[in-house]
Amino acid sequence: MTTGRIRRVAVTGLAVALLAACGAPDDGPPAAPAASGSLPRPVNVADPAVIPSVAAAPTCDARASLRPTGARPAPGAMPAGSTMARIVERGRLIVGIDQNAYLFGFRDPRTGELTGFEIEIAREVARALFGDPDKIQFRAITTADRIPVLVDKKVDMVVRTMTMNCERWQQVSFSTEYLSSHQRLLVNRGSGIRSFEDLGGRKVCATRGSTSIRVIAAQPSKPIPVSTDSTLDCLVLLQQGQVDAVSTIDVLLAGLNAQDPSTEIVGTPLTDEPAGIGINKDAPDFVRFVNQVLETMRADGTWKKIYARWLTPLGPTPEPPPARYRD
Amino acid sequence: MSIRTVLTQLRWRMTTTPGLLAAVTVGLVVIGLVAGVAGVLAVRQRAALVRDVGTFSGPLSVRAQDIYRSLSEADATAANAFLANGVEPAALRQRYLDSIAQATASLAVALRDADDRGAAKLDVLARELPVYTGLVETARSYNRLGTPLGGAYLREASGLMRQTLLPAAHDLFQIEADRLAQAQRDGATFPWLVLALCLLALAALAAAQVLLARRTNRVINVGLAVATVAALTSLGWSTIALTGAGGHLDDGRERGSTQVHVLAEARVAALQARADEALTLVARGDGAAFEKDFVATVERLAGADGASGLLGQALAGASDDRDRQLIQEAIDQARRWVALHKEVRGLDDGGQYLDAVKRATDPGAQGLPATFGHVDDALTRGLAAANDRFDAAADDADGALRGADIAIIVLTLLLVAAAVVGLQRRIGEYR
Repeated sequence: MTTGRIRRVAVTGLAVALLAACGAPDDGPPAAPAASGSLPRPVNVADPAVIPSVAAAPTCDARASLRPTGARPAPGAMPAGSTMARIVERGRLIVGIDQNAYLFGFRDPRTGELTGFEIEIAREVARALFGDPDKIQFRAITTADRIPVLVDKKVDMVVRTMTMNCERWQQVSFSTEYLSSHQRLLVNRGSGIRSFEDLGGRKVCATRGSTSIRVIAAQPSKPIPVSTDSTLDCLVLLQQGQVDAVSTIDVLLAGLNAQDPSTEIVGTPLTDEPAGIGINKDAPDFVRFVNQVLETMRADGTWKKIYARWLTPLGPTPEPPPARYRD
Repeated sequence: MSIRTVLTQLRWRMTTTPGLLAAVTVGLVVIGLVAGVAGVLAVRQRAALVRDVGTFSGPLSVRAQDIYRSLSEADATAANAFLANGVEPAALRQRYLDSIAQATASLAVALRDADDRGAAKLDVLARELPVYTGLVETARSYNRLGTPLGGAYLREASGLMRQTLLPAAHDLFQIEADRLAQAQRDGATFPWLVLALCLLALAALAAAQVLLARRTNRVINVGLAVATVAALTSLGWSTIALTGAGGHLDDGRERGSTQVHVLAEARVAALQARADEALTLVARGDGAAFEKDFVATVERLAGADGASGLLGQALAGASDDRDRQLIQEAIDQARRWVALHKEVRGLDDGGQYLDAVKRATDPGAQGLPATFGHVDDALTRGLAAANDRFDAAADDADGALRGADIAIIVLTLLLVAAAVVGLQRRIGEYR
């Protein structure tokens, strides 16, 4: 380094120091504190989710329901003393449903009326009881409420994508299967996530008290389960980038996907989850009656018609799931 | 001249009557001036405290009150606007925008004067309010598309409001209210030192008179008599002015700010319950937590019997018939509102969601929104009356002190002059 260069460096350094000293007045405006943005969470999010301990799973044929006996009674003429007769006497069928599941049970924005695949299934049961699909009262319930409202007889039946499994068979009865589904993943388009293998250590959302949250927790890739009150809250979290995927049955994911085209359904179908209509354990006559109604719907094309009206986003209309009975 | 010679000379002079009288004159002048200056300072300082209550702490607490109320109102209005499918009523939308604008404007002003504790709360509000409005607008967009996702965003927005924004606003409100109460108490304490100095001046004057009577055999010295009258007047004036100001401040606290506090809390509780009511319906079956909160909040507002709680407290604290009438009106209308709410819940729980919404948004004069409007209106007017009472008391306190400092200065000068002249004459007789 030449002397001239050293001098230049020294002069520049001195000038910089002087300028810095001049540029630091005592009473300048206070510097803005460092702030970083954060997003709130929907109410009641558990991260990581508390996974309910699984009772030793009893073995059974989860799809097998009670076989209908005899001919179906005509609407309004139910056998005396039966559960159906009591419902007819009351004048309306009370059904626990979801009001927030797009395509399954939701309010038509134009009319405000409840509509969707499961709502129409429930109305068919009312039609069989009364000859009038409108003699029905819907009660919106949460995922976690499905079994309690049945056990406490607050509703006659629950049509709310309720997975038939042996554990639940201990507490309630199910009709035959009306929709089969499989647990899959909903991710942001372009996220590169194709399956659970890509989700090791990342957050995956499902509702509290669902079978899905347990499946997430049991994955070998060890994703972090996050639970919410409703599946919609999971979509909110996904949109806000607070979780990497939503995982529940594909039919519900299709409802979420229909509300946000920037998402896509990926992953190999993980579980086999038959949806059945939940009914109180003490009403086997009503289970048999509902199964009769479902038989008719399978046979006369009503099931296919309803499916085609709502669930085409899931693909072409399949054959209705066949009935299985345990007698 | 050494100090010793000065002292010796002084002692010698004190033994003579004129020397003693000269020393007494100096002593009286010093005591009179000290008492006078202390009095003026006390009045000035008190006046500053009183003005602080009226022009600083008072308005600050009103601003904190404004922020708290506007945010609660935004929460309630956003939820109610959601009940109408897709297109919200223009009036509700405007009210929501007004609430946000009011909160933001008050926030900007409040930040200027807040102390450290208040500033920390305001910082939370300033950071989270934009996040809140963003969520509400996202909710609106999805609601217009008719998808249930809108409701989920609104629930998230409301959760942010209730878990973060409103608690910070409430803390701020409490901090400013405490600060105001402290300022009111500071302004209302009596300055005992001034009283003691005035009494000391009076005692000195009396002693001088006795001394003079003994040494000169004259019972009354006109100068000292005038000085005594001036000291007494000064004592009386400052005592009346200071106790008067203190009394007005106490009155302002008891009948004004305490009542303002209760009514502001009542109003916010009413708005929160109103938001709960709408959110229960918006949540469409997932809203049990909101209904639980409604029941708890209404109980805080009006008690289990509908006439206690915050409203009962406000009724007990009302200071005139007009106030009592307003609060009674709020109690009666709140009772009607809760009855209508029960009808709405009955319909919704019975599965008649659309009828429940219709009842909850009934635009009629006897409808639920109008009834809630009456509750809110009565509380708003009661709050305005209590705020006015506080302002009037602060003005009165300020008025009580007006002119007191001038009077004390004039009286002190009179005291000193009269004492000097009175004693000087006696000293002159010895020459």
